[in-house]
Amino acid sequence: MATDKKISGIGALLIVLGLLVILTPWVLFPVCEVEGLYLKTAAGMQIPMKCGWTARAETGVGALIMVAGGLLVVRSTPETRQAVGVFSAAAGILVILFPTFLIGMCAVADHPCRQLTLPALEVLGVIVVLIGAYLIWKGGNE
Amino acid sequence: MSNLSGFRFSKLVGRNLANRPYRNIATIFAFALIAGTLFSSQFLSNGAEQSLDAGMDRLGADIMVVPDKYLFAGQTVLLTGEPTTFFFEDAGFEEISRIPGVAKASPQMYIATLFASCCAAPVQMIAIDPETDFTISAWLVDNPGVKMGEDDIIIGSNIIQDPGKELMFYGHIFHVVGTLDQTGTGMDNSVFTRFEDAYVMAGESGAKAVKKLNIPREMASAVLVKVEPGMSPEAVADEIERQVPGTRTILPNGLMSAVNGQLAAVTLLLEGSAVAVTVVSIPLLGLVSALVANEQKKDISILRALGATKGFVTWLILAESFALAIIGSIIGIGVATWFLVIYQDFITFSLKIPFIIPSNLTILAEGGGALLLSVAIAGTASIYPVFRITRSEPYEGIGRGVS
Repeated sequence: MATDKKISGIGALLIVLGLLVILTPWVLFPVCEVEGLYLKTAAGMQIPMKCGWTARAETGVGALIMVAGGLLVVRSTPETRQAVGVFSAAAGILVILFPTFLIGMCAVADHPCRQLTLPALEVLGVIVVLIGAYLIWKGGNE
Repeated sequence: MSNLSGFRFSKLVGRNLANRPYRNIATIFAFALIAGTLFSSQFLSNGAEQSLDAGMDRLGADIMVVPDKYLFAGQTVLLTGEPTTFFFEDAGFEEISRIPGVAKASPQMYIATLFASCCAAPVQMIAIDPETDFTISAWLVDNPGVKMGEDDIIIGSNIIQDPGKELMFYGHIFHVVGTLDQTGTGMDNSVFTRFEDAYVMAGESGAKAVKKLNIPREMASAVLVKVEPGMSPEAVADEIERQVPGTRTILPNGLMSAVNGQLAAVTLLLEGSAVAVTVVSIPLLGLVSALVANEQKKDISILRALGATKGFVTWLILAESFALAIIGSIIGIGVATWFLVIYQDFITFSLKIPFIIPSNLTILAEGGGALLLSVAIAGTASIYPVFRITRSEPYEGIGRGVS
């Protein structure tokens, strides 16, 4: 019973982390376009920089992490733990890979996305991966 | 004791530690905090110092001479590369090359470019005189394939463009021919061009740029000086300031003092935290060790009755403390390194200091120092419990020990 409560708590933690992944690039440590920095095309059109596309991708991954956390809250069988663990670990890796390799951030070091959004997403990604690894281990030991 | 097949000291230590997970986690956390804060303070100071060394090496100068009104602006160009434009009021700076002790003197012009968009943000343009320059010419010697001709520029590592491509400043198109290595200083945010090209760019700016650039002819923003071998840069700098009125000199030592001034608050906070945590931790860890030793009294007494020596028991208690200190320190140092690396850009821009990740050797030395200090604290905290437990007789412990 105590273990079930603990696992539900981890599910709630995943929901919070997913929400933080969504809020980080838009509200907490905003990317360049939120600060009014855009790329200008030759025709004068403003388009988001790379960090803007990363922010959009992180919104999707953050929502999926929230769903995984919700699943763990309502059903905490060993199989669910393992499945959510694998999924969270993979999602956490994506949270790190989107701003670093898959899409990237602005190349200019003094842009807000490089100074705060990127490290904050890396920290969140690592926490989600660690929780995923714990759930896989916990699921396998039951 | 002589025939204990399968008995391993490390296994005994491991089992003892596994019996008290929550208390050990708290102890590990305390050691992580001590090692992490101490390591961070050293990491920041060494990162700034090595960055400044790399920047001064890139510049190749012993002294930088600037107009007296622009001492701070000159320091900023070197430290952070914050774009600025300034000039001497007259051409008197030429006297500098004739001052005794000056081996080489080369003028430079500092021009802040205009803000265009994300990828052409304002940067510091530094115009050099190819005849006398020893900043870029030294880099060109190391990169023999690169030639700096008409409209060619060499860019710092933070300027985003590949060699062979173009960059536009004040409506004038320049060709990127090389990228300098990262130094962590203002050099990384600078673009190097020739005097002649800067004059052409300024001449065209009225028609091509949103704002006209005015560069006074035959004027410089700063003069870089290399002193003769054996001469003291400080003495030569004093002589320059005395003989050429209206000038101020910037030396590497002065820059380091400026950087230390910027860093002082942060390093003081980190070192103060480490000292505070250490001062609070030693008696607390001593108390925890004493409680643990008291709980283990019966086990230890049985070990003693089986023939374990006082040295063995002492080593057992110390090994447990050292293991916690080492695990905690490694976690603390690892997490601190990770945070300092991922927040490198934020540190550089918020503290306005030159900063690069220190060399691997420096990181190892800093980490080793923090680890040793944690082990020393663990040893100090274990003195009292070791003293108490080795003084008691085995039969006392078996009779009174906690079961």
